[in-house]
Amino acid sequence: MKTKTESKRQAILQAAAEVFREVGFDRASMSDIRERIGGSKATLYNYFPSKEKLFFEVMHHAKEVELEAITGELNGDASDLKRELVRFGQKFLAVLYSTEAIAVRRLSIAESRHSDIGRLSFEQAVAPIEKQVAEFLRRVMKREALRTADPKIAAMHLLSLLESELLQRVLLGVIDGVKPEAINGAVRRAVDVFLSGYERR
Amino acid sequence: MSKSDIKRQAIIENAYRLFRARGFDGTSMAHITSEVGGSKATLYSHFPSKEELFVECMMAALENYMPDTLKHLDASCSDPEAALRNFGTSVLNFICSPEQVEVRRLMISEAARSGTGRLFFDKISALRSQIASFLTTCMVSGLLRRDDPDLAADHLGALLEAEILEPLLLHVRETAPDEEETALAARRAVAAFLRAYAPTSGRMKALARLNAHVRRLPPHEL
Repeated sequence: MKTKTESKRQAILQAAAEVFREVGFDRASMSDIRERIGGSKATLYNYFPSKEKLFFEVMHHAKEVELEAITGELNGDASDLKRELVRFGQKFLAVLYSTEAIAVRRLSIAESRHSDIGRLSFEQAVAPIEKQVAEFLRRVMKREALRTADPKIAAMHLLSLLESELLQRVLLGVIDGVKPEAINGAVRRAVDVFLSGYERR
Repeated sequence: MSKSDIKRQAIIENAYRLFRARGFDGTSMAHITSEVGGSKATLYSHFPSKEELFVECMMAALENYMPDTLKHLDASCSDPEAALRNFGTSVLNFICSPEQVEVRRLMISEAARSGTGRLFFDKISALRSQIASFLTTCMVSGLLRRDDPDLAADHLGALLEAEILEPLLLHVRETAPDEEETALAARRAVAAFLRAYAPTSGRMKALARLNAHVRRLPPHEL
């Protein structure tokens, strides 16, 4: 078997991104993608064992940079805790509710029993964000700006509260895309509830 | 159970099995008819479309389970913390069961594609409004601060699911949590929820002042 190269891999990802964008995940086929880059089907499968895996890579990479930007919001000194959490929440939901991220999330859940996409999604997106938020909250609790609690649990509560108003609708396809105003309102309400749930008394 | 109910039940059971094995697209009304027996017309008289049948199948177990769970919230609301904790534990035990996790996966993967999202959402909203009506009672009696009860129900649901559900959905975790774990998650969720929705401090202070005043009163004035 020929050695894999990064440039070939990138070319495949590029072609796949185009095909997925044009016809959607369901109607896209590995043959469509192979036609666009040339070469054999065996070569394509050598790089990506399935359409699901390829889709995950395409969509996930599109979002990776943005994911890093989200947690970057939590590097401040938290002198204005509410403001920082609101800004983080806005960025988090804007990425989470993007068409690509929702497609990845649906697929990750749908295929989790049949492939390792669910695990990849958890390890590369869910867990790192939870960890960063927990680190941030640990610092905040240490400074006594919030009551002492398990920062990991608090992080999960915060993230879940942020998703609470809109995620179900978006995942079920009841609404198509979320406007920034809707995100801002949901974030403000979630952060208020989180802060009063974790404030020191 | 009437003959019609029995038929309906048989349709749901067979369709549920087929949908779970073959997905929404892979299951046809003809196939369901052949499994249940009888005519296609009978099937359609119970369920006007495959979409409605699919949603019914996915939601039936939850809808059957909820009345018992909601009884936890029926109390005269004297101890809302205990009521919410018991309710939360009961909900988590159900939705974290392997079968319900699988049902939720199927719902999420098929809803947007098959155009059944709205039907699912309406059913979920109906269940949520039952929780919201309990919260309304608590708000009216001053146990919780006044706010949008639907929003409060969303927040409560999110806090309950926060620790456990995602790893199960993504199959990062395979074993369902035991009762001890769901009870702990529910307790933490309810603690955060009640702090967040506690009556506003102004009101609390007013109550405290009133209590202090009452305590100073001579017994015969009480």
